[in-house]
Amino acid sequence: MGAAEVRALAGVDLDLFEGELVVLLGPSGSGKTTLLNNLGGLDVPTEGELSYRGLDLASATEDELTQFRRGRVGFVFQFYNLIPSLTARENVGLITEIAADPMAPEAALDLVNLSARLDHFPAQLSGGEQQRVAIARAIAKRPEVLLCDEPTGALDVRTGIVVLEAIQRANRELGTLTVIITHNAVMADMADRVIHLSDGRVHSVHANERRATASSLRW
Amino acid sequence: MVSSLLDRKLWRDLRRMAGQATAVSLVMGCGLAMMIMTRSLIYSLESTRQEYYEANRFAEVFALLKRAPNSVAARVAEIPGVAAVQVGISEQVTLDIPSLDEPASGNVRSLRDNAPPELNRLFLRAGRWLTPGNRREVLVGEAFADANHLQPGDAIAMLLNGKRQELRVAGIVLSPEYIFESRPGAALPDNRTYGIFWMPYKELASAFDLDGAFNSLALTLAPGASERPVIAAIDRLLTPYGGRGAFGRADHPSHIRVSDEIRVLHILSIGFPVVFLGVAAFMTNAVLSRLLAMQREQIAILKAFGFTNRQVVVHYLKFAFVMVAAATVLGGGGGVVLGHQLVGMYHRFFRFPSLEFRLDHVALPLAFVVSAGAAVAGVFSAVRRAARLPPAEAMRPEPPASYRPALVERTGVGRLLSHTFRIAVRNLERRPVQAIFTVAGLALATGILIVPNAFRDGVAQVMDFQWDTVQRQDLSVGLVEPDSARIRHLFAQLPGVRTVEPFRSAFVRIGFGPRRRQLGIQGFPAKLMLNRVIGSSSQEMVLPPEGLVISAKLAEVLGAKVGDDLEVEALEGKRPVRTVRLAGLAEDFSGVAAYMNISALNRLLDEGDVITGASFTIDEAHRGEFLRALKGIPRVSWVAIKESLRENFRQTTAASIGLIQMIYLVFATVVAFGVVYNNSRISLAERARELATLRVIGFSRREVGAVLVTELVILALIAVPLGLLLGTGFATVILREVNTETVRLPLVLTASNYAFAVMVVTVASTLSALVVLRKLSHLNLIGVLKAPE
Repeated sequence: MGAAEVRALAGVDLDLFEGELVVLLGPSGSGKTTLLNNLGGLDVPTEGELSYRGLDLASATEDELTQFRRGRVGFVFQFYNLIPSLTARENVGLITEIAADPMAPEAALDLVNLSARLDHFPAQLSGGEQQRVAIARAIAKRPEVLLCDEPTGALDVRTGIVVLEAIQRANRELGTLTVIITHNAVMADMADRVIHLSDGRVHSVHANERRATASSLRW
Repeated sequence: MVSSLLDRKLWRDLRRMAGQATAVSLVMGCGLAMMIMTRSLIYSLESTRQEYYEANRFAEVFALLKRAPNSVAARVAEIPGVAAVQVGISEQVTLDIPSLDEPASGNVRSLRDNAPPELNRLFLRAGRWLTPGNRREVLVGEAFADANHLQPGDAIAMLLNGKRQELRVAGIVLSPEYIFESRPGAALPDNRTYGIFWMPYKELASAFDLDGAFNSLALTLAPGASERPVIAAIDRLLTPYGGRGAFGRADHPSHIRVSDEIRVLHILSIGFPVVFLGVAAFMTNAVLSRLLAMQREQIAILKAFGFTNRQVVVHYLKFAFVMVAAATVLGGGGGVVLGHQLVGMYHRFFRFPSLEFRLDHVALPLAFVVSAGAAVAGVFSAVRRAARLPPAEAMRPEPPASYRPALVERTGVGRLLSHTFRIAVRNLERRPVQAIFTVAGLALATGILIVPNAFRDGVAQVMDFQWDTVQRQDLSVGLVEPDSARIRHLFAQLPGVRTVEPFRSAFVRIGFGPRRRQLGIQGFPAKLMLNRVIGSSSQEMVLPPEGLVISAKLAEVLGAKVGDDLEVEALEGKRPVRTVRLAGLAEDFSGVAAYMNISALNRLLDEGDVITGASFTIDEAHRGEFLRALKGIPRVSWVAIKESLRENFRQTTAASIGLIQMIYLVFATVVAFGVVYNNSRISLAERARELATLRVIGFSRREVGAVLVTELVILALIAVPLGLLLGTGFATVILREVNTETVRLPLVLTASNYAFAVMVVTVASTLSALVVLRKLSHLNLIGVLKAPE
């Protein structure tokens, strides 16, 4: 088997702005995850330009990328990815240990309505609760960018809504640029801008006049 | 067809886990190598000795006596249970070897002219047998001949009963009586200064006034005869002839030394392999559990397709068997190589016509069975768990691991701990068995390093004690025969002499009740400057004007205590037998000794003011001059130069201990490396997701590495002190086992011994951890976050 070149992204030209909530929509294989990984400094594009407030992410070293993720980016994953050996409070505290101006873990957990579950281990929490801990962990460092990869993918509708509310609240109250990738078109309604990707290209960009609240969504 | 595809899966899985499988095989291989090596050495020594004994008709009961007419031999033969009897002469002699500027003495045995000996037949290594009727010929034991580069045709001078005789070496021989050729009572052989010789009976008999008589006896027992009644009968028969107590093989000095070695090998052949294999069994379990967890879905699919539980179990057991097979090959090869090395070392100490490494053929299959057993025990629970999994259950991802605050945190110090530290301790507590075995492996590695170094330090202490504390002279000079004390003035006038201290030594037999020991009494002046006698509390003793001071060990062997009356029988001169009070106990390590005031000794021997030699300190600048001057004094028989004795000893012993140190070092390194490698690979694999998450949310590679390293450091901090304790225990047990009347090694545990063990284990573990940590850079940050494994 030869290694055929596969371009995950090609011809993506995009600006993202402070404080906005962007939903990236697209079918599987459209390149949304690759784009998110590039935005989050997990991966670098093989060619092209990618910069964040003057920092050239396309040619950044591994250390610079680590610093970028550490200081500016919060991640929320489809499968939560909590540290199983740490409690909710400690999972959040882990980040506040390495961040420059973190909020107290308790405050971050309060923001996602989990004040009552501070000392529970991941195995003792429901999926939705685990995801909210993950959101608290992501926002506790007061990130400038919050990247959410299918944050409700593993959750039922009701729990998913609660999680989206937490994300929306963080976006609103902290002024964090929030990017959610999903293949669930319903979420487009809660965005400032909706970007459709297909075959590694930006298919369309659409700005919402009014953002719907997460609680009003149904799928 | 299907099973061959499953086998292909097996090979591919194995290739993916090659590192871990290799680590398991190596640790297991170490245990097996140790087992195969020790069992084969036991087999080599036992079978070679047995064959040698049979071929050369080694006697079963031995006795020494003062003198009995040859006709007594026939009466011995009549004792029920006696098969064959051989009588002869055995005497102590002093030697003058031209190339040797040090003391040499030995034991000379008689050979009948007319026929080869019935018992204790010699093996001719070089040269020829004694020519009947040809006088002035001697056969020399190989160890002494080798050490002094003697060859057939060379000349040596021997003092037979005080008369100097020039002899020619006819042949170099070996005897089943002297597999271990050493001065009676000496801890380690000094083959340069002590040898065994054989001469025609007639010559010895006339030299020692034993015509038509004998003073040594050996016999074999009739099949089925019991040794004890025969010994009792011989003792009754020989008492009127100055019999000194018959003894069986179990008390035969050379036989004991080989048996001692075999006994230590037996301990090693069980003790160490058990621990190694225990650790390896757990490692197998850990690797297989990990594999099974990773392959839950595959197991479910296999079962959904209709594979039976048995097929699934067999498939996974094959993993263990591949590792065991590799370990058996490694261990077998390693054991054979190491065994050859050790047999080479045995050549220094044990003299057989031919000592070859013989692989214990039972050892190899046994090794396979034992390690397969260990591996199956290790993996069985994991495999059975997998087999029991209902297919549908197996298809679902494993539920998230449950954790709870670790014990240390519950004590209240939890708040002080960093998150990294908490992750580490909680993980350790969740997997206590894995932690325990990692600790066990590291402790074992630390512990086995202590043993050879404790041995080395014990030997060094004995030698330092001997040569720095007890004997402070630069050299000693022995006289051909006891001489007037006036020779001291002659000695004092030799060039470069700083101090002279005369001594008188005499071969005696000391008895108390039924027990007897033959040794030399050292007579020293009351005020000692060079030679010292050290008492039980490490204090220098002043020799009392009367009475005997003996080694504490000798008193223990005789069952005597201070104040008891000992029977002292001189084996030279007028051979008086006297009763002497036991006046004190001396502390020493090698062999047993007895000391007396020189005047008291001379009175005991019924002799005037005589000495047999003197110790010197000399001006190094005049050493050559001094030695040349000594050669001009015909009465001097030997010169012992302390530094050359010491150097000789250092070379032979250091090489042997060095080899053993090397073996243990390799084993310890392999175990430490393997255990840490395995532990960290498993942590890395099980927690790839967690570690990748940490990287993604902004932890640097170093910080993520710290999470893994913290766990290892905690384990090492527990393991290393335990290992030092374990090693202390190993060393104590092994030294106690090798401690006998002839060798008593003190248990010396130095800080540098401990430090070396800690260092080796730390370095091996660190390197191993670094190898694994390098894999952190290959951590798939993106893939691992996408879906649960």
